[in-house]
Amino acid sequence: MTGWLVFALIFLVNLWYLSFTATRLDRLHHRVETSWANLDVLLQKRAAVALEIAHSDIADPASSMLLTAAAYQARDADIRNRSQAESGLSGALGLLLEDSQHLATAADNALLTELSGLTDKIKVAIALHTDAVARTQMVRRKLIVRIFRLAGTAPLPITYEFESDVL
Amino acid sequence: MLTRSLKIGIVCPYSWDTPGGVQNHIRDLAEFLIAAGHNVSVLAPAIDETKLPDYVVNAGKPISIPYNGAVARVLFGPVAFARVRQWISHGDFDLLHLHEPAIPSISLLACWAADGPMVGTFHAAAKRQKIIFAIGPILEPAIEKLSARIAVSEAARLTLTDHLDTDAVIIPNGIYANRYADGQKIQKWSGNTIGFIGRFEEPRKGLSILVDALPVISRFAPDVKVLVAGPGDPEEVIDTIDPQLRPRFEFLGKISETEKADFMSSVAVYVAPNTGGESFGIILAEALAGGACVVASDIPAFDDLLGHGEFGALFESESSTELAKVVIDLLRDQNKREVLSARGKHRAQLFDWSVVAQQIYSVYEMSIVGSSKVRLASDTRPWNRFLSKEEKS
Repeated sequence: MTGWLVFALIFLVNLWYLSFTATRLDRLHHRVETSWANLDVLLQKRAAVALEIAHSDIADPASSMLLTAAAYQARDADIRNRSQAESGLSGALGLLLEDSQHLATAADNALLTELSGLTDKIKVAIALHTDAVARTQMVRRKLIVRIFRLAGTAPLPITYEFESDVL
Repeated sequence: MLTRSLKIGIVCPYSWDTPGGVQNHIRDLAEFLIAAGHNVSVLAPAIDETKLPDYVVNAGKPISIPYNGAVARVLFGPVAFARVRQWISHGDFDLLHLHEPAIPSISLLACWAADGPMVGTFHAAAKRQKIIFAIGPILEPAIEKLSARIAVSEAARLTLTDHLDTDAVIIPNGIYANRYADGQKIQKWSGNTIGFIGRFEEPRKGLSILVDALPVISRFAPDVKVLVAGPGDPEEVIDTIDPQLRPRFEFLGKISETEKADFMSSVAVYVAPNTGGESFGIILAEALAGGACVVASDIPAFDDLLGHGEFGALFESESSTELAKVVIDLLRDQNKREVLSARGKHRAQLFDWSVVAQQIYSVYEMSIVGSSKVRLASDTRPWNRFLSKEEKS
């Protein structure tokens, strides 16, 4: 009799743990999605600001061309080319900012401040996203998650290469 | 800054009526957010309910436990848990901001009880403790619920990655830099004076190191004086000082914010000889904002805050000979002092609430995207949802 009780208790505890881990994993997947959505919105904004800078007096014709191309690429890239396109935009903006700091006028300065504010936010968004991804990957490596397929059909989240080179 | 008015719940783990860095930080943050048009409620333990500002909700009487080399006044237990749950379910918050959620306190309880957008701020910097292997697996799933983690300094961030294997965004503690910017130079505090502010009775504040350094300093600067401000009983400390040096010390007691501003602009050098246990060093930020020339021990938090010596001079922690060398060097060289304090004043703008609160707010914004309001976790568990559906039908 007690044997059955103990067995039932262990079974219940295991069941609870499975449900607990599944909830935890679900929450993590949700966090990866929201943090990516955040980052995505900010990146789109950055591309828009980059276009504005390209059309302003800050950029000389050559870098204007480079920046416009990079911004359009970043906007239109599909998920496979996205990382490369964002890296490209970061690089183009970096090139421009390096030597434009001292010759910007007041109106242009507003654009540059907007850009630097955006870059700060993007850095935070990237930190949140990579952290969410790392946590999810860690939990998904757990034996119990793999055996009971607690992740279901959700794809394993990944971080993107461009996330390490945003200035 | 204001895009829409948010309902924000902040949880303070430590007793509201005992002085401390975390409490000050929460008070300033809450007041800044309220001034910006948000609706803020702070849940905190308190000993005396009558003196609370109207945005603070009392969670009960705190108990004292030893934690991280000091006594922490915190609160937990079943009654507190019920209070926390009640506060969350009645608050209808858009976001919870939990402070120090990794210690046993109502912050941790709130982290357990709530579901939805949550931000956690980690203040403490501590050395890696063995006990973490035992409590880590319990803490991890709770800490994981935070949609964003903030550390107040590089030292606090390292503590977090060390203990819980999770990263954080660094946002420093805030000060009202303007309040310190225009202090008056007071004659009796200026000249060859060394300033010190803090609870001088506590060994980790390092006053004894300054006392040990004084004989050497006074040999090179015969008219040097030490001004000590802060709460505490000076008698005991005076007893430990060499009688010949006693006239050089002046204890001012606790000073007000305006006096602090005057103090910082008057003293020749401000010394912070802390030996450890410091995570950010808010007093250094205030000293920089007040235009003081700062000399600090090279503990990680101070080293970081002073930009490895760019914004203030550093000396090897716990070495009074090194301290004496650095102070003498500065007392002799007014030019160098002016350069350091000018750079420091500029640096302090980074810690102003207008900058810091904006950073915190953008983390809030990122956390609430795509999520609903904060609810009790028990309401969203599948079986409870199932049960409540049955009842309704």
